[in-house]
Amino acid sequence: MAQVAGQRVRSSVAGLAAGTPDAPAPGLQPLVRVADLHKTYRLGRVSVPVLHGVSLHVRQGEFVAVLGASGSGKSTLLHLIGGLDKPDREPRGVIDFDGRTLSEMSGRELDAYRSADVGFVFQFYHLLPELSVIDNVLIAAMVRYGRFGYMARARALRPEAEKLLASVGLDHRLRHRPAELSGGERQRVAIARALMNGPRLLLADEPTGNLDHETGGKILDMLLRIRQERKQTMVVVTHDQTTAAKADRVVRLLDGRIVAG
Amino acid sequence: MYQALLTRRYLFSKVMPLLAAVAVLLCTAMVLIIWSVMGGFLNMLVSTGRTMTGDVVVQWPFVGFAHYEDLIARLEKDPLVAAAAPAIETLGTVSLPDGRNSHVLVRGVNGERYAQVTKYADILWWRPLEQAMEKDARGDDPRLGGLDNSDWGAMYDHGLSLMRPDPKTGELKPAAVPGIEVTGFNAREPEGYYTPRVVNRRTPEGKLELIDVFMPRDGSIVINLPTLDSKGRLVDTVSKIFPVANEFQSGVFEMDDKVVLVHLGALQDMLRMNKARRILEPGETAQEPIETDADGQRLVQDPARVTHVLVKGNGPMATAREAEVLKARVQSIYAGFAADHPGTVPDEYAIRILTWRDQNAMMIGAVEKETALVLFLFMMVSMVAVMLVLAIFWSMVAEKTKDIGVLRAIGAGKLGVAWLWVRYGLVIGVVGVVAGASIAYLVVHNINPIHDWMGRAMGIVIWDPRIYYFVRIPNQVETPKAITVMIVFVISCAVGAMVPAGRAANMSPVRALRFE
Repeated sequence: MAQVAGQRVRSSVAGLAAGTPDAPAPGLQPLVRVADLHKTYRLGRVSVPVLHGVSLHVRQGEFVAVLGASGSGKSTLLHLIGGLDKPDREPRGVIDFDGRTLSEMSGRELDAYRSADVGFVFQFYHLLPELSVIDNVLIAAMVRYGRFGYMARARALRPEAEKLLASVGLDHRLRHRPAELSGGERQRVAIARALMNGPRLLLADEPTGNLDHETGGKILDMLLRIRQERKQTMVVVTHDQTTAAKADRVVRLLDGRIVAG
Repeated sequence: MYQALLTRRYLFSKVMPLLAAVAVLLCTAMVLIIWSVMGGFLNMLVSTGRTMTGDVVVQWPFVGFAHYEDLIARLEKDPLVAAAAPAIETLGTVSLPDGRNSHVLVRGVNGERYAQVTKYADILWWRPLEQAMEKDARGDDPRLGGLDNSDWGAMYDHGLSLMRPDPKTGELKPAAVPGIEVTGFNAREPEGYYTPRVVNRRTPEGKLELIDVFMPRDGSIVINLPTLDSKGRLVDTVSKIFPVANEFQSGVFEMDDKVVLVHLGALQDMLRMNKARRILEPGETAQEPIETDADGQRLVQDPARVTHVLVKGNGPMATAREAEVLKARVQSIYAGFAADHPGTVPDEYAIRILTWRDQNAMMIGAVEKETALVLFLFMMVSMVAVMLVLAIFWSMVAEKTKDIGVLRAIGAGKLGVAWLWVRYGLVIGVVGVVAGASIAYLVVHNINPIHDWMGRAMGIVIWDPRIYYFVRIPNQVETPKAITVMIVFVISCAVGAMVPAGRAANMSPVRALRFE
């Protein structure tokens, strides 16, 4: 399997070498288009460049794994695609989502983008500890629809959340708090929350990174099943070859650049 | 929507917000208690200030003015005036049965007429009592039937008429009604009623004798006064024994301790302000008919004089404005009166016409200043509440940094995150303020029992009536004040939450998610 992944990486790198980085197949419109992306963090007076001209396409329904060592910039890339952070202004890179350019969106439009079009799954789950499992899932809908919108849809949204939790095997844990769950269960809640608003793009940052091998495998299988059932577009950041091997395509990052694996 | 959910969860799952609510509770309760007591003190002062003086007073101190019945008749014809009554005020001393002497303000009044312009009928202490006072659970008040041979009904009537029958002859004699604290022979019980004291006095032979000190039954006092002629010159001093007909409790300690009411006619006699013949000086003219005696001296009937005419207005006269309107009317009526009695009464520019507020201006001003000081302290305490909430929320925002990152990641906007914290501050404010106002209400409402208990259990007497004049601590929470305090503190909490809310809203979502 590792060998297959390696071949896929090589094919991406070949595209880059030809001057059409990670180009989509002809006739297929990319859902996400990233071009010449730069990101530099400032730590006091020190500038720390993280991404150096990254370009990437993610097609509708595609499962892309971003592989790289710690500090290679893969999480930063994910945050930029998800609209959580902004790229450098100069040189001005581009992130397009379904033809819309993120850098041209207002703050409110970016909030709506994160709420409706993107679902995040984090390595450390990031559940809200005071809320029950069901509320942790429903809060995504509350944020999206606002008070009146949520109240108007509450009758439909609650069963939807319960269904999602049932699909990740947590229908018996609805009233539990995150502290009462195992790591794998927490990550399943986080996945349900990410899917609550039916996002077109699922961004997962090391979703198995904090789990043991067996649990991580189950989570990965769950993501694959979701992808299969929903035709879900996914970008998964990982440093785990096993995860990468199950992706349609693997992009390897090294020191902020897409490189051959 | 998510703000409401998180506010509920944060409120009851963390200690810090509860501490913030407790801080707001304490601040609210403190301000409300102090403001209520101070405000109540001012209200009591203003209302009891009228208890014994009426709404407006026409006064020409010490010397007095004549034809006062004409003035009263003119006043009572006016629709703004409900009643008017004559009075004399002068300084004097009182000699008590145990040999003590005390300086007092002696006020001569006609009891029935005085009761029409003041609350005199209500403040007479010794009277038949059908029901025990609020704190007298055991019914020990002597007015409920104790004290042998005491006819409370007769005693009340004697007080009202300022006349008491001689114990031997039964003849009615002009009497005095001192304030309940004047003689020092009444012990105030913690339950609020008075019991006559038993006092021993050493006789010239060196023996101790028991003095009957229940003054209204058969006690007497001696009133000593300087007398002035109509020009204000000191003539001599006079003393007269007055049987005590009753005692009064106005609720103003200064009055209860320093005022002695006496029969108006008797006081006029003592002060030579009664109707009497006077020898005219050479060249002097008079409005009254002039007679000539056997020695050829020209005599004139000098009319009786009083120093005060007390006026009660129609209506509540509770506000300063109402009192000022009445005062203007009295001034106008007095001008006509003075014009009709030239040379024998002070002219309209010299006479002193004062409202009840004018008479107590110093005291009211002082209390109003103290109330203003309380309001200033209120502002400072509000600032403390703001800083407390700010500090606690700052710390909570730091603690909840990851939650903020998560909320931003799932699409919450900056304003939404800011509103989460401001709303949280408002909720803490409302919780703290409602609890604080409830506690303040309970404390203020029960402040007298609490104070009495502190006195009994710990010997702490904060509200000494000799200092604060009033025997009861004001115990009313005024609704407008309570609402003002509550609104200000809720707003203070929101203001205190705004800075941390701004910090939360402007937090980078990525940094928030990476926060350790």
